[in-house]
Amino acid sequence: MKAAEPVPPYLASGRDLRLDFFRGLALWFIYLDHVPENIVSWITVRNYGFSDATEIFVFISGYTAVIAYSRMMLKDGWPRAAIRVYRRVWQLYVAHILLFVAFTAQIAYVSIARDTPQLIEEMQLMGLGQNPYRAILEAALLKFRPVNLDVLPLYIVLLAAFPFALPGLLRWPWAVLLGSFGLYVASNHFDWNLPGYPDDKVWFFNPIAWQVIFYCGAVLAVIAPRLEVFDRRRWSTTAVAGLYLASAAFVAMSWHYNALERLIPDWVARQIYPIDKTNLDILRLLHFFALAWLTRLVVRRDAGFLKWRIFLPIRRCGEQSLQIFCVGTFLAVTAQIIVAHYEETILSQIFVSLAGLVVMSLIAFAAHRLKSPAPAKVRA
Amino acid sequence: MMRWAFAAGLAVAGLWSTGASAEWQCRAPREMLTLGNSLEIAKTAVAEERDLRIVALGSSSTQGYGASNPQFAYPAQLKMRLDKALPGIHVHVWNKGVGGQDAAEMVERMKTDVKPEHAHIVVWQVGTNSAIRRDPLAKFTEKLRTGIDIGHSLGANFIMMNLQYVPAVVALPDEEEYARAMADVAKEKGVGLFRRFEIMKSWYNDGMPYAQFVINDGLHLNDFGQKCIAKLLSQSILDTINPRQLTGAAKSAH
Repeated sequence: MKAAEPVPPYLASGRDLRLDFFRGLALWFIYLDHVPENIVSWITVRNYGFSDATEIFVFISGYTAVIAYSRMMLKDGWPRAAIRVYRRVWQLYVAHILLFVAFTAQIAYVSIARDTPQLIEEMQLMGLGQNPYRAILEAALLKFRPVNLDVLPLYIVLLAAFPFALPGLLRWPWAVLLGSFGLYVASNHFDWNLPGYPDDKVWFFNPIAWQVIFYCGAVLAVIAPRLEVFDRRRWSTTAVAGLYLASAAFVAMSWHYNALERLIPDWVARQIYPIDKTNLDILRLLHFFALAWLTRLVVRRDAGFLKWRIFLPIRRCGEQSLQIFCVGTFLAVTAQIIVAHYEETILSQIFVSLAGLVVMSLIAFAAHRLKSPAPAKVRA
Repeated sequence: MMRWAFAAGLAVAGLWSTGASAEWQCRAPREMLTLGNSLEIAKTAVAEERDLRIVALGSSSTQGYGASNPQFAYPAQLKMRLDKALPGIHVHVWNKGVGGQDAAEMVERMKTDVKPEHAHIVVWQVGTNSAIRRDPLAKFTEKLRTGIDIGHSLGANFIMMNLQYVPAVVALPDEEEYARAMADVAKEKGVGLFRRFEIMKSWYNDGMPYAQFVINDGLHLNDFGQKCIAKLLSQSILDTINPRQLTGAAKSAH
C-alpha cells in the first residue's frame, strides 16, 4: 500500500460541509434575486461582479454528482450507476412538472381571486392561454418554461447526459474537461442552443454552454489533489484572482456611479460587453473561478464556522437542494405578488425576503427529520 | 478572522447599496418625444373602429430579455398604458420580438408577422444588433427602406425605435452613425421615429446610473428601463393621435 497518496474528493469519506453550505447559500441567493427590485438582494453575489448564484449551484451540482455516483459505478458497475442517475433525473423531472403546475395554479388562483385576468398573460403563461394543450405538451418536453422555471430543466439535461461522461471522467478527467470546454466554445461560436416554445424562444440557460461549469465541478471532484500546480504558485494565483475580482467589482460599481463609468475607456468596454448570461460569457466563468479559488483558500474543509448553529438553516437547505429549490421558486412568485400588492415598499421587500427564507429553512429541517433514521429507543 | 470577513462583507454591501438606491424618475425632454409622423391610420382606426392594433416588431429588447418578468417587456406595458388612457377603445399589442435578430432578419418576417394582425401601427425596434454586428451602414439603411415599404404596403403606420443607450452599444465606435442613419431614413420615408437612444442618453447625462435601467450584461433593459420606455412611447403615441389628451397627460406626467 502506498502511503500519503492524497485521496481525491470522490473517494474521500465523510461529508464535505462546504458543499451543503454554499449550495444552501446559492439557493438563498436565487430566491432573493428572484424577487424583483428586492433591496435584500443587495447581499447576493451578483451585485459585486459578473457571476451569480446560478454558477455556484451548477458547479456544486457537478461536483456532488461525481461524489454521489462514481463510487457506485466502481462498486456495482456502470449500468447500476446509470440507472441511479436516471432515477434522480426522473425525480427532478417530476419536481419540475409539479412546480410548473403549482406555479401556474398559484397565478391562476391570484388572478381569479383578485379578478386580474391579465396576470396569466403577464407571467409568460401566454402560450398556455392561446393553446393550452400544446403548451402542456411543450412543458412536458421542457420547451415551455414560464419565468424562473429555467434552472431545473438545465439541471435535468445536464444530469441526463452525465452517465455517459462518468466513466471518462474517472479515467481521463483532463480529456473530459477539454471536450467540455470545446463544446462550450463551439456553442458560443456557432450559436448553438436547444429549441424552446413558442418557436422563437431558446433556453435562457443554454445547456450546451452551461455544461462547462457543471463539468468543471465534476472534474474537480476527481483531480483536486493534482491541483498542486496552483498551490505551488499559490501567491501568484491568488494575486491574479484577487485582481480579477477587484476589476470586476470596479466594473459592477461603475453601473452605479456614472463618474466611475466614464473612467472605463471605450476599447475596454468593447471587450467586456455584452456579458451574456444565456451562453455563460467567459467573463462570468472566470469570475466564478476566481471566486471559487479564493473561497477554497479561505474556507477549508474543516473551517469552524461551517458548524455554527446560526448557519445550520443554510446547510439544511443545501442538503435538501431539490425540494428547497422548488419551494424557493414557488415562493418567489408569492413574494412578488405580495410586494406588488404593498406597492413595492421596502418593508414589504424585507418581510417577504425573511419570511421566504424562514419557510425554506423550516421545510429543509422537516425534510431532514423525515430522512434521518428515528433515534434508537433505549432498551432496558 | 471569519467574523471579521462577514462584518466587512456586510459593510461593503451596505455602502454599495446606499449609494445605489437613490430614487430616479422616468422622464424625457418633451421635444424628444415627437415622432415626426401623424399616425393617420391609427387616428382613423381609433375614431371610427374604436380599435387600435399595434405590432411590436423587434429583437430581444422587445421580447423582454432581461426583464424579471415578461409583463415588464415594453409591449405589455404599452398595452396597459394605452388601455388606461383610451377607455372604450380596444387596444391590441402583439409582441413580435425575437432575440438576436438584426434588420435583415426582421425584414424577412415583416410580412408574416405583421399581416395577420392587420396592424395600424408597427413599432419597429431595430439597429442595436446591426450595430453590434457591424453591418455596413449602406446595407443597413437599405434593409430599413425595404422593411418600411413592406409595412406600408400592408397599410400600417410606422414608428421606428432606435438603439438603446447602454454600455455595450456606447462602446461601439460608430453607434451614433446608426442612430443618425435611422433618423435620415425616417425623414426620407416620412415614418415616425422614437428616439430611444437620445432619450436614454438624457437619462445617463442627468446622472441616472446604468444599473437603474440596464441588467448586468450591459446590453438589455431591466424592469425600470422597459417600463419607462413603454411610458414614454405611449406618451408619444397619445400626443400624436389624440391632441385633446395631451393637456391631461402633460399635467399628470410631471
